[in-house]
Amino acid sequence: MRNHLFLLITIALVCQKQFAQDNRFISGFFPEASLSYKLNKTYSVTHKIESQNGVYDNQSSLNDEWKYKHRQTDLQTFLGRRLTPFIKVDIGYQYRMQDGENTNRTIQQISILQRESNLRLGHRIRTDQTFFKNAAPLWRVRYRLKSQIPLQGFEVDPGEKYLSFSNEIIYMYQSAEDDIENRLTGSLGFYFNDKNKLEIGLDYRTDDYLVENRFRHRLWFKVGFYKSL
Amino acid sequence: MKFTYFLLFILSFSQFTWSQTKVEVEKRIKKNEVPIEVLNWFKDAYEDISRVKWFYQTENDEVSYEAKLKHKKRKHSVEINPDGNIINIEVTVNFDDIESIAKQQIETYFKNTYSKFKIKKTQIQYLGSNDDLEDMIDENEMSEDITTNYEIEFYGKNKKGKELWEGLFDSKGELINRRKIKIKSTDILDY
Repeated sequence: MRNHLFLLITIALVCQKQFAQDNRFISGFFPEASLSYKLNKTYSVTHKIESQNGVYDNQSSLNDEWKYKHRQTDLQTFLGRRLTPFIKVDIGYQYRMQDGENTNRTIQQISILQRESNLRLGHRIRTDQTFFKNAAPLWRVRYRLKSQIPLQGFEVDPGEKYLSFSNEIIYMYQSAEDDIENRLTGSLGFYFNDKNKLEIGLDYRTDDYLVENRFRHRLWFKVGFYKSL
Repeated sequence: MKFTYFLLFILSFSQFTWSQTKVEVEKRIKKNEVPIEVLNWFKDAYEDISRVKWFYQTENDEVSYEAKLKHKKRKHSVEINPDGNIINIEVTVNFDDIESIAKQQIETYFKNTYSKFKIKKTQIQYLGSNDDLEDMIDENEMSEDITTNYEIEFYGKNKKGKELWEGLFDSKGELINRRKIKIKSTDILDY
């Protein structure tokens, strides 16, 4: 447990030292919670709420780097259909609350479970479209690979912990301009039982790769609870 | 640095949220935690194997030890009672490598039962006395008293549904029993 904490803190330190100076660096809390339930054998519904709360921004103003700022809160609902024990497709809708304009987003995704002898991998391919009042829609294509590695034995059992790593690459397109975003996460998972899981970790996001002189880093301290009925 | 202390402070809370109500199924253990009775047989059978992962298992109040290792390029899983008696040895193989009589029979079962199927994992299961199993591993001698079964994990689709199964077949490929494999929830991987 201690080792995991140190690992997370080291990553935090490295990220902070490495990148905070030249580029825009934002950090804060990112709590999220999801609730899933089955409609019948094939269909399920998932609701998710996630909220980005900034506490640090190196470009907010000259001497006021530490400041709480609610950045955005997303409400999502997905309708999922399980095609096989390993493949699931979802359509979803997201309502984003933020400063200025709240937005609507439609989401489509396919998730594929890969079971290995001592870990599980989840592949997720997602497309989404975000709609604005006075701007062209934002189109995105994303691929995420996430692992679930048991820390005791070869399978995660109730009461055990696991490590989770993920990376997601996002390509986006809006009004003839495009960009790439990357999201790297590492977290410690608490598997209370199959219906209740908690993940605590870091989510490191970089974007504006294709925009000159505007690289951005965001490091979020993430706490996620996954509940199913 | 302020930021790091802040993170440290938050992370320290996570330590308290973890309760001790744990129902243990299996856990990794060190070699020196394995009873000598269990180790003795193991040392004789797998003489030159040094890389072994040991697990302690409890299932329905029954305790056993499991050794996972690679022998002759194949994955072996050896389950042993605390008193040193071998419960079984399972060797992971390709389905195509099993005895042709069994293979044909198992394929017939799949074709007759499912409109679509896919074999995910094949293990040969050996049951027998400690001495016979030791000779099988270190001398390559196959006693007639050793029972050979095939444990196959497969996906099957038919009118009743699409499920993942673990089927146990005997040496002739006849189904002994099968059970549904319940896949753990995937919400953490999907959303």
